[in-house]
Amino acid sequence: MNNEEFYIGWMGKAPKSFAAWIRKYLIVLLPVIIVLGVLLALSQKKFGTGTFEFGTLTEVKGIYFNKPVPTIKVVDGKDIWGNENYITVPLIGFGKHGADGVIADLEKEKNISFEGKEITLKGTLLYNDGKLLMQVDANDKPLVNVSGANINSVGLQKIKELGIIDVKGEIVDPKCFFGVMKPGEGKPHKDCAIRCILGGMPPVLKVTDEKGNQNYYLIVGANGEKMNEAVQDYVATPVEINARAVAYGDWVVLYVHPNGLQHYSYIREHFSTSIASCMAACIK
Amino acid sequence: MGASYLAVGWNRQKKIYDWLIFAFCVLYLATFVVLTAIFNPDYTFETVLIRATSTLAVIILHVTLSIGPLTRINKKFLPLLYNRRHLGVSMFCIILVHGSFSILQFHSLGNVNPFVSLFTSNTHFGSLADFPFQALGFFALIIFFLMAITSHDFWLHNLSPKVWKTLHMFVYLAYFLVVMHVMLGVIQYETNPVFIIIMLIGAFTLIALHLIAGTREVNKDDVIYKLKQDGYVLVCDVKDIEEDRAKMFCLDTERIAVYKTGGKLFAVNNVCKHQNGPLGEGKVIDGCITCPWHGYQYLPQNGQSPPPFKEKVSTYDVKLEGTHVWLNPKAYAEGTERPGAVISVVNAE
Ligand code: HEM
Ligand code: FES
Repeated sequence: MNNEEFYIGWMGKAPKSFAAWIRKYLIVLLPVIIVLGVLLALSQKKFGTGTFEFGTLTEVKGIYFNKPVPTIKVVDGKDIWGNENYITVPLIGFGKHGADGVIADLEKEKNISFEGKEITLKGTLLYNDGKLLMQVDANDKPLVNVSGANINSVGLQKIKELGIIDVKGEIVDPKCFFGVMKPGEGKPHKDCAIRCILGGMPPVLKVTDEKGNQNYYLIVGANGEKMNEAVQDYVATPVEINARAVAYGDWVVLYVHPNGLQHYSYIREHFSTSIASCMAACIK
Repeated sequence: MGASYLAVGWNRQKKIYDWLIFAFCVLYLATFVVLTAIFNPDYTFETVLIRATSTLAVIILHVTLSIGPLTRINKKFLPLLYNRRHLGVSMFCIILVHGSFSILQFHSLGNVNPFVSLFTSNTHFGSLADFPFQALGFFALIIFFLMAITSHDFWLHNLSPKVWKTLHMFVYLAYFLVVMHVMLGVIQYETNPVFIIIMLIGAFTLIALHLIAGTREVNKDDVIYKLKQDGYVLVCDVKDIEEDRAKMFCLDTERIAVYKTGGKLFAVNNVCKHQNGPLGEGKVIDGCITCPWHGYQYLPQNGQSPPPFKEKVSTYDVKLEGTHVWLNPKAYAEGTERPGAVISVVNAE
């Protein structure tokens, strides 16, 4: 190094050779940073198309049912035979909470049960992949109207037993998955999904078939009891479920058998026999 | 040069440094956000912010951690070193946005306090596939926080350089935590290998730079000096040292800098009291040995910083026989005055 050229940080100006070197370094660094930005931005998985109509309140009129999860059944035109078609809109609460608390407070305030009554609610809609949900938040004064008399709701739920099924999928919380968060599933979102489900959001099983289409199931215990706490260790990770499937109109509910919820491992399923025989051979 | 932070203002170089950091950050954030918005239009604002800031911070972390070995490989990188702490603090501010927004988005408005949620939602600490990666990010953030708030020289003096340096070595632990935070987090979700490849290249580059810089130093330290007499070791020829400069020798694991200035040779401990900078790579300016890293100064004859500063380094005996420089590795107490060795005209020739 040239004896004249010595750099100290508190000097106002770096010696020429130092300044020139740093300039070269920056000229290399600049494209590296831009290329990294491009690569990292473009390599992200595509976000889902879910929508959360944040800030927009919509009034929805339908028949309220508390079981298996709080929902309202909303008339959606008529089918070709002139029967009324219903879509089922599960209700969820504000933040990471279920809707049970808000509804219970409203029922207490009115001193009636909403079960089977026609009710108009004001809330925020969220939707994705053919499913519609509504957030009811006490701050939005969600109860617009509730009918005095019970509607004849027999048959309205369109309950149909589908038999015992085994399905593999991922447990998600419907609020994040169907609208609020991107991604609202998988490992990065795991903690949040757990927090939402522990807060009372009804757990949903997302099942992807061979063609890549997705089906969604609400999950409850064998007797219809809530499974929110029981699923904590199974959220956002592959699981297999053995359950009685019951269709409630356009949503299928899984009544999970005791021990019917298990972690699922592709390796274990496909290679366990070969691993076992290999190990047996080794031991021999 | 204790209290040098009083003297150093925001000079031209610092301003250029800070503007460059700012410009590079804005450029990166703009690239990331705009491309995400165009090619992944279903994004949410929170996710783009969380990802743009986290990836930027990881890039800055790599740049910051590479400066140390780069300067040891080539002195011309020194201007990057002097204000390296500005990079560290900028990185902390950026990653604070990532951490806060993640806690807000993933843990707030729930049935428990967000910080309780951070540690009690996912409790699969025994599983790799399910590991609660956010906790790793949290601990890394705490380390970066401690480093950022203690980055000022005020803390260096109050904590003592040793404690300070130890604290700041935790950056390597933080780096490891960040790598695991990414590997056990978003990498398990993404299907495109680009991110993981970039992380691996980054980690390998850092390790390689540290190894190269490290082996160079070890090679220097491993030189064996054979000729010894009366505790003195023959280290070099007087002509090997330039005027106002030094050569560094490692004797009995002590690094000693031998300076030539004003017709004399002086030996002082090589390790600067500020942040262990290599005094042997410094220069005598205004009669003081000046550390190449941040410019702390010491008098060659006694290893003391000129008043009002209080730093002191050990001194050693050095003597000349003909043109041969002999060095005694026995250290005198820090700040002890030594006569040095006079270079006569005969020696100098
Ligand atoms: C309180 C502290 C932190 C929390 C709660 C946290 C949380 C998260 C979460 C939830 C993700 C996944 C986000 C997504 O869906 O993409 C993530 C990703 C990431 N984090 Fe952190 N993090 C924290 C600290 C840090 C720190 C200190 C760093 C590094 C300097 C860091 C770097 C990253 C990177 C590079 C990613 C992958 C890119 C991304 O998805 O954003 N994080 N973090
Ligand atoms: S001045 Fe900072 S290490 Fe010497």
